[in-house]
Amino acid sequence: MVFEFFQGLDQIEITSGLTLLSLLIGGIIMGFGVIIARTVKLLFTKYYAPKLSQDSAKNLGKLLYFGIIVISFLVFTSTTGVDLSGLLVAGGIFGVVIGFATQSVVSNLISGIFLMVEKPVKQGDSVDLPGLGISGTLLDISTFSARVRQFDGTITRIPNESFFTTNIRSLSSTPVRRSEAIVGIAYKEDIDGAISVMGKAIRKEMPYALILPKPDFRINELADSSVNIEVLVWHPREDWDQVSPKLLKVLKNALDEAGIEIPFPQRVVWKAND
Amino acid sequence: MTEINSDYTNYGIYDITDSIDLSFPNTEIKFRNIGTNVFSYFRRDSEDNTIEKMIPTKNNKIRIEVAPIRPINHPSHRTSYIYLELETPIFLSENSQAKIFARCPIEIGIFLIDGENKNSLDFFTCDPINSRFGLYGTPESGTLCKYAKSEIVESYDDSKPYINATMEINFGNELSRGQSISKIIFPVTENSIYYDDSKAIYDSIDAVLKKKLTIETLDISSRNISTDWTKSPDYERKELVKRLNMGVD
Repeated sequence: MVFEFFQGLDQIEITSGLTLLSLLIGGIIMGFGVIIARTVKLLFTKYYAPKLSQDSAKNLGKLLYFGIIVISFLVFTSTTGVDLSGLLVAGGIFGVVIGFATQSVVSNLISGIFLMVEKPVKQGDSVDLPGLGISGTLLDISTFSARVRQFDGTITRIPNESFFTTNIRSLSSTPVRRSEAIVGIAYKEDIDGAISVMGKAIRKEMPYALILPKPDFRINELADSSVNIEVLVWHPREDWDQVSPKLLKVLKNALDEAGIEIPFPQRVVWKAND
Repeated sequence: MTEINSDYTNYGIYDITDSIDLSFPNTEIKFRNIGTNVFSYFRRDSEDNTIEKMIPTKNNKIRIEVAPIRPINHPSHRTSYIYLELETPIFLSENSQAKIFARCPIEIGIFLIDGENKNSLDFFTCDPINSRFGLYGTPESGTLCKYAKSEIVESYDDSKPYINATMEINFGNELSRGQSISKIIFPVTENSIYYDDSKAIYDSIDAVLKKKLTIETLDISSRNISTDWTKSPDYERKELVKRLNMGVD
């Protein structure tokens, strides 16, 4: 009975060489392919992905899934005897049209692949993209775009092509970072004394400022109204917000307490008859 | 440096049914029974920072442990490494060995005891101005550490209560020349702390100057000590810490 049913299907020809039976077998192969792809992806996600970095695991998972689907499709076409050559000729002409229309999409795809291979930054890194005016935490790099959560909480989607071709400044690939501030003191003040006061204030009030390398003080400029001292403080990379925004306040308070003048801009005007 | 007086609270286990005040250098702690099965916890440090917590309990008493802990929590946990800079460098002649005792900083932990479990309620340092970070190596690839200047002392009894603990360091020199050692960097999570009244000691470390292929290194490893003193709870998050290959100055 069942045998006769399948024989009947085999005699129904849809196109030349493609019968309803071969289409059914192809469907079953594709179905199995999808089930195997999902199972492999699930097992990969459960057992192997935790050992890899998040973005590598995600991309490798996708590669496995779609790889098995493509193999299933090839098995399907070879078993059913579908001749795709006509489709390829038509697809070739159509592909040129589509290629022109989607070149930016393809560009993003290729850039995404290069980003995944080169890995200039990884998921969770703090990045600064000066060319795009974007700073924040990299959420992910997917097939066509990358997402960055900016420090104001908003999420920006960046096409992979832009991300790949712009300068990327990684803020979290080194164990420490440096914050700088420039403070001007009056010409009459003792420079070494002011440096000592600022050094003690940083040591006392900034728990995240590193002792080694110790804070550095450089005479930046003999400016119009003040001697400008550049203060360079190293801190753990995660604690920029505990140091940089507070540094000037700590320095000013320390100089004020020590009675060291931070001068206003001054200009001496000479009259011609003086 | 803070003067240590004898009125400060010793390390140990305390049963609290009503109220108790604990006193440490620069820090005061109050436990209060504020209602049926509810206690409050209050801490104030030398910089007037305060912390207050409510502690609901199963019955009308709580049991706490005050213990020295590793100095890697204040102001935030950023590293498991300690950078000890010896105030007096040690010179080791070739193929020699030496044993010293050095001070290594501690923090103090307050643990809530519930049966076999000891849960961290709070931690603090009595020496906040010296609880700072330092970098070993270059800014590009160095190792972030908690930094401390370390004095060499005579014996295990010479720790400064509530500020530091004493650690035995066994030096060795397998090089074919004499060498000075002025700093030691090691993952402190491999060392347990033990306490007795207000004194504390660490597990010891071995620091051996060796030649690995063509590079001279200071190889550092931890060694458990056997002591009658009480072991402090280990509560830090367990994480894989890479053994550091220290170069020779």
